[in-house]
Amino acid sequence: MKHRLNSRLSGILMFFAFLLTFSTCLNAQCLSFAKKIGKPKLENFVHDGNYNATILGAGETAELYKTFFANQKYRIALSKIESLPNIHFRLIDEDNNILFDNKNHGFVDVWDFQVESTQMLVIKLKVLDDYNDSNGDNKGCISVLFGIEKEKKKKRN
Amino acid sequence: MRNSFLQITKGIFVFTLLVGMISACQSDGKKSSKTEEEKLVESASQPIDQQMMEDFNKSKLIFYSLPSPLETAMLIKRSGARYDEEILNPISNVTKYNTNLKMALNLGIYSADLSYTSLFDQTQSTIQYMACAKKMAEGLSIIDAIDETTIKKLEDNMNNRDAVMEIISETFMNSNAYLKENDRPTISVMVLVGGWVEGLYLASSLTNGSMENNKRLVDRIIYQKLSLITVMNLLESHSNNEDIQYLHGKMSELKSIFEQVKIVNTSKVESETDATNKVTTIKADSETHMSEEVFNNLLKKVKEIRSEFVS
Repeated sequence: MKHRLNSRLSGILMFFAFLLTFSTCLNAQCLSFAKKIGKPKLENFVHDGNYNATILGAGETAELYKTFFANQKYRIALSKIESLPNIHFRLIDEDNNILFDNKNHGFVDVWDFQVESTQMLVIKLKVLDDYNDSNGDNKGCISVLFGIEKEKKKKRN
Repeated sequence: MRNSFLQITKGIFVFTLLVGMISACQSDGKKSSKTEEEKLVESASQPIDQQMMEDFNKSKLIFYSLPSPLETAMLIKRSGARYDEEILNPISNVTKYNTNLKMALNLGIYSADLSYTSLFDQTQSTIQYMACAKKMAEGLSIIDAIDETTIKKLEDNMNNRDAVMEIISETFMNSNAYLKENDRPTISVMVLVGGWVEGLYLASSLTNGSMENNKRLVDRIIYQKLSLITVMNLLESHSNNEDIQYLHGKMSELKSIFEQVKIVNTSKVESETDATNKVTTIKADSETHMSEEVFNNLLKKVKEIRSEFVS
């Protein structure tokens, strides 16, 4: 009896270990996805180091709050796994004014922003759901990375 | 009978575990209660298209993006501030930190310090501060974020500032991602808060207590009021943790001073998009006001909080 209980317990523990490994692997894929797919889109902008990535499905939404400082040029790079539909994103201010909508630019995933005075702005994004998703449970990594324009090098005499 | 009881228990355990894990993957910025920003958005009178609003009302995920240590260091450098090694957290302090809270805060603090040293091309110090960050990351069992290869890469690229910034940004992302994705978001929040406070401390120390010496730098400090809203929301989304409650208390003290700082948009926020160059410029006039007294109180409070963090 004691032996059977022990074997059940070890079964549960093994399952726990499997789930933990599986979950970590899935998540680790988002980090490596952000590094391999998201970061190169920033090109010559320096990635600020913040990690904004998660798993989303068609029709799901997210919001990102960020302070944009005056006299800095920012690049936003959105990435998604290939099988997900396009991402619709908007930049809005605190009064809900839409300052940029990527729908007007073919759902572009990389854009630059600069502000004349420092502002806290919100990026609202949605994975489109107007796709013919056969099984309806298509989910995958998305990342939202920010780059900052490097200082222009001063010419040496 | 006992067998089926065990099986049911096992089933419940596994199900709970599974649900917990799946939600952990996406819970970093989950809405738990209405934040100040949400209220701002909801209270806005201007209509936005209905479908989009309905979608976002159902939104379950929020990212709070604080200025990273690297961005803060860039802001400090671009304001024309100088380099001052004296204001950094001494590397000798690294052995003092042995709780998760202290290690996490000082991972953020050393990350900010190393970003600052790198922007001023203080390569030797950058390597030393990276070693401190590595020690903190190891203490927190953050695997593979900063290792010997990172230090070696830094040494090999000592004269290439762009490469150094790239390495720093990568290590910060690695630590941040590791913590978020291994169900330790509260530690991740502590690291971010530590880094943000250090950035504020460096900027305020570099004013030498004067509002007149470097007005651009003072301006950068004033606008941290906006980032503080993000800090508060970030902390409030993990408020059941004791260490987070402690930090929330500290940040509330700072908030009560920042509330006396005025930032007002004096014109409507408008945007101008240049589709050819894929760039949008956000235009708005804003005015700020901070009295000498508030400035001094702010400097004093920042110094006090930072001293507590590094002690």
